Parts: sequence; C-alpha cells; structure tokens
Amino acid sequence: MTLALQILIDGFAISALYGLGAVGFTLMFGVSGVLNLAHGGTMLVAAVVAWLVADRAGAYGGAAAGVAAGFACAFVTYFAIVKPIQRSRAIPAEEKEIFVLTGTLLWGIMIQEAVAYFTTTSPHTVRPLIEGIVTLAAGVRTPTNEILTAVICWSAIGALWLLINRTRTGKALLAASINPRGLVLLGYELSNIYLLVWAIYGVLAGVAGVLLGAFLGVSSDNAGTLTASAFSIVVLGGLGSVSGSLIAAYAVGYLETLTAYLIDPSLRTIPSLLLLVAVVYVRPQGLLGRR
Amino acid sequence: MKAMLLASVACLTLSVAAQAADPIKIGVISENSAISGIAIPNGAQIAAEEINAKGGVDGRMIELVLYDDHNSAADAVRAFQRLANQDKVVAVIASYTSEVALALQPWAGRLKMPFITPGAASDELGKRIHANYDTLKYAFHGYLASAFLAQSVCDAAKDLLVDKLRMKTAVIFSEDAAWTTPLDAGYEACLPKIGIQVLDHIRVNPDTTDFTPIYNRIEAKKPDVMITGISHVGVQPTVQWARQQVPIPMFGISSQATSSTFWKDTNGQAEGVVLQLVATNTIATTPKTIPFAEAYFKKFGVTPAYTGYTTYDELHIIVDAIRRAGSTDPDKIVAAMETTDWQGTIGRMRFSGKDDVFTHALIYGKDDVSGLVVQWRDGKQVPVWPLNLPGVQPMAFPSFIKLNATN
Amino acid sequence: MRMVIVALVAFVILAVLPLGVSGYILGLLTLAYYFGVFAMSWDLLFGFAGEVNFGPTFLIGLGAYGAGLLNSEAGWPVAACIAGGTALAVVGGLLLALPALRLRGPYFGLVTLVAVLLLTQAITIGSKWTGGEIGLSLPDVLSIDDATNYWIALVFMGVAGTLLFLLSRSPVGLILQACGQDPVEAAALGFNVSKHKLAAFCVSALFSGMSGAMLVFYFGTVSPGTVIDIAVGVQVIIATVLGGRRTIVGAAIGAIFLIVAGEVLRPLGQMSTFVVSGVALAVILFFPDGLLGYVLHRRGRTV
Repeated sequence: MTLALQILIDGFAISALYGLGAVGFTLMFGVSGVLNLAHGGTMLVAAVVAWLVADRAGAYGGAAAGVAAGFACAFVTYFAIVKPIQRSRAIPAEEKEIFVLTGTLLWGIMIQEAVAYFTTTSPHTVRPLIEGIVTLAAGVRTPTNEILTAVICWSAIGALWLLINRTRTGKALLAASINPRGLVLLGYELSNIYLLVWAIYGVLAGVAGVLLGAFLGVSSDNAGTLTASAFSIVVLGGLGSVSGSLIAAYAVGYLETLTAYLIDPSLRTIPSLLLLVAVVYVRPQGLLGRR
Repeated sequence: MKAMLLASVACLTLSVAAQAADPIKIGVISENSAISGIAIPNGAQIAAEEINAKGGVDGRMIELVLYDDHNSAADAVRAFQRLANQDKVVAVIASYTSEVALALQPWAGRLKMPFITPGAASDELGKRIHANYDTLKYAFHGYLASAFLAQSVCDAAKDLLVDKLRMKTAVIFSEDAAWTTPLDAGYEACLPKIGIQVLDHIRVNPDTTDFTPIYNRIEAKKPDVMITGISHVGVQPTVQWARQQVPIPMFGISSQATSSTFWKDTNGQAEGVVLQLVATNTIATTPKTIPFAEAYFKKFGVTPAYTGYTTYDELHIIVDAIRRAGSTDPDKIVAAMETTDWQGTIGRMRFSGKDDVFTHALIYGKDDVSGLVVQWRDGKQVPVWPLNLPGVQPMAFPSFIKLNATN
Repeated sequence: MRMVIVALVAFVILAVLPLGVSGYILGLLTLAYYFGVFAMSWDLLFGFAGEVNFGPTFLIGLGAYGAGLLNSEAGWPVAACIAGGTALAVVGGLLLALPALRLRGPYFGLVTLVAVLLLTQAITIGSKWTGGEIGLSLPDVLSIDDATNYWIALVFMGVAGTLLFLLSRSPVGLILQACGQDPVEAAALGFNVSKHKLAAFCVSALFSGMSGAMLVFYFGTVSPGTVIDIAVGVQVIIATVLGGRRTIVGAAIGAIFLIVAGEVLRPLGQMSTFVVSGVALAVILFFPDGLLGYVLHRRGRTV
C-alpha cells in the first residue's frame, strides 16, 4: 500500500514535469514547425540562473529570474538562429527543417558549454519555493515542493488551455498549427503568431527548468538528455498535439517510476525507449498525432 | 686580450643563463569543469609557484602545461600524446577518473613518460602496473586504492557507528563505476567483520538524476546507515536525501563533498553528511596541510577538493624525484619516485613496490596516508575520526535522521 | 575534371606529409581521416538519399565493438576482425533501416537516435564482455608507427572517398538523389524508392562500420565515449554540413577542419567546444552550402 501510494505520487510529479517540458516543445512544432533542439539548454539556463540569483534574492526572486532567463534564451534562439534560417534565401525550402535542427543543436551545445564553463558541470539545485515535508496516508512522505511542482505544472497547462481555447489569440495559434495559409488569408500576421508562440514556449521552458532544478537538480551534462526525452515524449504523443504530449508524458513518467521502483533503477529508461520504438513503427503519427 | 676575456665571460654567462632559463615542463590533464577536476591544475599551480619562488630546480623553473580532457579517455590520450611528443614534458599528472587513468597507462608505457594519477581509486590501476611492471612502471597511482578506502571507512565505522551508536545493519549505496567494484567488495568483506550486517547493495547508474525510488528501496530495508561510494554523482543524491528527509545517515566516500563548492551547490543540504577524505582545511594532518589549504583558498576562493591536496603533494614528489635523480631521464625519474618518502599534506607518502599486489600505489596505514573522516556541519567540515585527532567532535545529525540504536 | 585534379594534388601533398611533420600532427590527421569516412558515409545518406541519420554512431559503434570484441574475446587476427565488425554494422544497419525507412521526416531521425541509446544501454548491461563505460583494451593494434598508421588511414579515406564519390555521381547516385529530393516524382518515374534508400543505408553502414573498426585498431581501445556517444554523432553531422552537403568530398574536408580546429583551439581549454560549435553555427547561417559548397558555387558549378 505504501509502495503503491509512493509510486503514484512520485510518478505524478515527474510526469507533470515531463508534461510541461513536452507541451512547450510540441506547441513550438505544431505552430511554427520548429523542432527546437536547444530545448534542454533553455531549461538548463533557467535552472542555473534561478540557482545563482537565489543567493541574493531568495527562492522566489531566483525562480522569477530563472523563468525570465528561459524566456530570454528562447527569444535569442528565435531571433539569432531560427528566424535567419527560415528567412534565408540560400537554403532551399525543403531543407530548412534540417538546418533549423542542426542550428538549434549547435546552439544547444554552445549553451551547455557556456554553463559548464561558468558554473562547472556539477549539478545545481534550485531552492524550493516551499521547504519541508508532507506526510500523507500510510506513512508516505513527499517534499512539499514536489506537490507544489505538480500544482504549478498543471496550472501552467491549464492557463495554456484557457489561452488556446478561450481567447482569440489562442485560437489564432491553433489555426496556425492547422492551416497557416488560411490564417494569412484571414488577415493575420504570421510573424506575430510566431513571436507569440516563442514567448509562450519561453515561459513554459523557463518554468519547467526552474521546477526541474528544484526537484532533481540540473547539470550542464543533462541538457542533451532533457531535449531527447522531450522529443521522445512528443513523438509518442503525436507531434503537434498538446493533449497527446500530456498523455505520453504520464505514460513515460509512470513507466519510468514503476521500472525504477519495482524492477531496477538503472533500467529506468528502457521500457519507455522500447515503447517509443514500438509506437514509431506501429503508429508513427503517435497517439494523438494529426500530421 | 681584454676583449677576448670579456667575450668568453659573456659566452659563459649566456650559456649558463640559457641553461638556467631552460624550464622543466610538467603536463597536467584534468576535467576543468568538475569540482574534483579543477582542483588538479589549481593544486599544481600552487606547488609550482612555491618551487619556483625558491629558485626552481638548480635554477630551472617549473613550467606547467595544462590540458582539459573533458573527462573523455580519447581526449586524455590525445593530450598525453601531445604532451610527450610536442610539448616535451618530463612527467604528467592526469585525471581523477579511473577509466581515464587506465586508458593512459599503456601510453605512459609506450611513450616512456612518468605519469601519476592524483585521484581515482580503482584497484586495477595498481594491479595492472604489478602485472606488467616492465612496460607500465612509468605509471603511478597517487591515491588510495579502493581496497584501502573501504578499509578506512570500515575502521571509522567500527569506532563511530558500532561502538558509539551500536548500529547493526547497513545498505551499501554506490555508483556503478570502475572504482566502486573493488570498493563495494571491500565493504562487503569488512563490514560484517565489525558487526554490521549488509542488508542490500545498490549500485546506481552515474547518469541517474532521480534518486527517489532508490531511497525508497533503501528505506524499505530499514538499515541503520547508508555506506556510500559516490564520486560522479554527489549533489543530486545529497540534495534529494535532505529534501525527502530520508531518515538514514550517509557515511562513506563522497568525493564531491570534499570541496566547499559542494556546500554551495547543494544549498547547504549537505548538512550531516559524513565522509572520508585524505585531508581537510581545518585539521593539520601534517604541518603542510593547513598552509596549503589557506594558500588555495586565498588564490581560488574555495577550499580544495581532495585532488587539490594530492596534486600539490605529487608535483612536489615529482620535483623531488628529479632532484634526487639529478636528471630528467624517465627511467631515472621512475627509479627515484620508487624510493619516495615524502611528507605531503595528506600524510607520509610512499609507493608500494613491484612485488606488492598494487604496485606504485600510495601506501595506506596509520603512519602513512590514513585519511580522516569529517562531517559537514554549518558550512564547515568538522573532523569526527580518528578519535584521538585534536579538534575531533562527536557526530550530530539533522533532525530528520532517526538513529535506531539505543543511544 | 578540375576537381579531380585538385583532389589528386591534395592527396599527393597529404601523402608526403609524414616526411616532414611531427608524429603528433600525423596522429591528429589520422583521426581526422577516419572521421572523414564517417562524414562521407553520412553525406551519402543525407545529401543524396535525403535521410537525416541522427545516430551515425549506431553503425560506427557496431563496427567498432564488433571488431573489438572479436579481437579481445575470440582472438581473431586484425583483418578478420575488421571484416567481422563491418559485417555486423551492415546487418545492424539493415535491421534498423528496413522498418525505419518507412517513416517520414523527423520520425526516421528519432528512431536512429533511439537506436544509439539502445546500443549504449546494451554496452552498459553487457559490461562483463564489453567493459561498459571503461571500454576494452585490445591486444592488437594496426601499427605502433605514426607514419604507417597515417598512410593506412589516408589510403582508406582515399579509397572510401573515391568509391562513395563515384557512387554519388553514377546513375544510381542520381536516382538516389531523386529519391531523396522528391520521392513521389521518383516513384512515379518507376524507381523503387525504398530499395534505393535501403541500399544507400547499407553502403553508409559498410563504410561507417569499417571505419569504426579500423579506428578501434588505431587507438587500441574501444569505449562508448569514443565511438557511440551522441556527441560523436553530432560531430559527424556538423562535419558534413560544415564541409558542404551533397558533395561527399566536402564531408571529408569538414571532418578534417573540425578536428584540426579543435586542436588549434586547445589552449582555450574548456571553451574550445563552444568556439567550434559557434563557428559551425556561423557557417550554417551564412554559408549554408558549407565550405566546399561555397567554393564550388563561387566558381560556378563544375560537375
């Protein structure tokens, strides 16, 4: 009973975190067709800045700075790398995707190296917003911050849902992911839409980075793994589908947690890898993919 | 006549000056973006400056050639080759990772380059030198082999955990790496001998970021203590241990925790962690220990990780060997190093011989290098063992730790 | 024709280098040549078949570990091990590609990436034989002499490069290019797109695997960090894009440039990777055709 409850709670928290990271990633792809391989790097920057600033500004100041840093990093990625490639006349249209991939990949490596240079490869932990432990039924203990993490993740996701489904701007975003041409014909400026999606992405990645930093700690060595895991979850759920990513995030999160608890912690990632391979072969568009 | 005299004096002076200006180059390879890695070139620098301030070796200054190996064996091998073939160094100090040091050993043999590792604990290092003495004699293991580390932890555990706290059970918690295989074997052999039963043995992947399931598994066994063997992980398991308030103390080897950077990286959640190390900045293991630590802190703003102490000592050892050999010829340096008897910051440093199980490894013992055990309390490393050490204090744990023994 | 002459001249210059250049630089170039073959194989797949293989190190790793294990466990002679490793890479490539090529776009890339992750896990789990993270030390090496190793690598790169280049310019290569750029059109013209892509994948696997196997006997060791790590794969990709995709030769140039640049920037220590990535990024943004592509287009297309 204790074990089951422990698995349930740990799985929920880690899945929520995976979900937040994946949602930003898939939204980016869905709306602007960009697979941002600097995703892990962006989360890393957010976490490291939060850790650095918390020394002077306390946990809340640090967290705010971290989110702002993630936001800034996203915009640098857009303006310095993605937009120039998308606009470039020297690159044929069908290859733009590959170049964006390679460009963001290189940028991610640069971020990783810069963070390692300034703060070492040692993992850094962000100060939790709330300290302490909550003891639940059956003697299961959870750090309060872990519960807060799940709450924040879901609030962010909820806010995103409200934005997309209840506001005009949000609906434009949705439309852009389905039919950009149609949207342009209706008089919308695609470039504004792209700016908006990068802004949303920046906030989501920033929050995810700060929360991850508080939950597990983040090191510059992790950046690549973070990107790979977001990528896998998003493909599993269906590229471009936000709800798909969430379901996939929970599937992967619980698979990992169950494996770590019941089988062996060092084999943690294998079942989800195998699931990914299976889905990609059997149903390549993912669980809820559209394209 | 006068002109000729002046000219010959000038020539003589010039040639003497030219010889005196010819530096002795020593190579240093390390992972500069890691806590234990950056301490290597840092420690070497302090030693080199000291030696040069006293006039170098017969007027020849020590010049360090530094390379970053990013903890990759391939990069380290390339750097090693470059040091030998291009930079023409006389000796190399490299790495704190067993995997990298093992990859460099055959190259030390091929290139006849004296080489010492100021960290790393795998027993293989000394064993391979023993098995292939004629080729690998250029390699030295400048740290305690895992077998000795395990013994050191057990010796401390006997006094602190068994005698004082009457602990009876433990879970071994180590990372899956080359150095921990013999360490864990050592733990499993020596812990029962002091009266502690090993309930479980958990080896974690060094890439692990989420330790929650692991701590749950450990807690379920209800051991009195967790005996640790971690080096590449440190921050994350420690922070998560504190955040989740795992009620079992951590005791053993935790390499990253040897530096003050660790306290900052964990936001102080290293409180209560007990670890074995070879030197700390507050205890005079030898008269050289504290002055070195202070010089290091003054120059770099943090206390040295364990590799700082060993590298500092080992640069001195290399230079001492060159002095005694009267030459920079590799075979002569090696012969001189074999007879090293040096008072370092970590104790009396001597190397085992070609007939010992671990050849060219640091000798462990009460009068040699024995290490000590400290506990992080309030941002400081408080010594807790050996019990007769001046300044030793009893252990004290954070409130979430539940010591099961009747105490 | 002009390119052929330039290539021949370059080859001759490189061949006589050992007479005047230090052993260390030779070692560097030896590594660069093996990398060049990795990159050229990758270009065949990417530049021509139009498939982005995110895990070239899956093929390289299979070739390397296959050869390494045959040597350390079964004691086979070097040449046989290299053949064995290459065969393993081709078989592995076939098993991966058969289902994977049915997938479009980013999915193919993802599966290749997952293949690398699975191979890494397999190495870790089978560490009793593979040596895990530490890797294997092999009893045999190709040669201890720097110059000999250099010439072996140079000749290998020359032969592989020539074969790949000829393949790319042959009718098969043109069909491959068509399959890559417009598979619908190509299929409409009656070409079996998947069969051609599969063949390209196998050729890529053959050369990558062989180069991986030879690299292992150059180093005398094999470990995940040198032949499987994603970082290695990334370097292969960067080398090709940097040198100029779809030129085959450009990939080799890119590989040599990357390794030499990494060395030249060594004094920067930690920041060397940062700077190299930065330079590669700048090339991608401003010279998307890569170094060779830029040169070629400036002179006007010389086929």
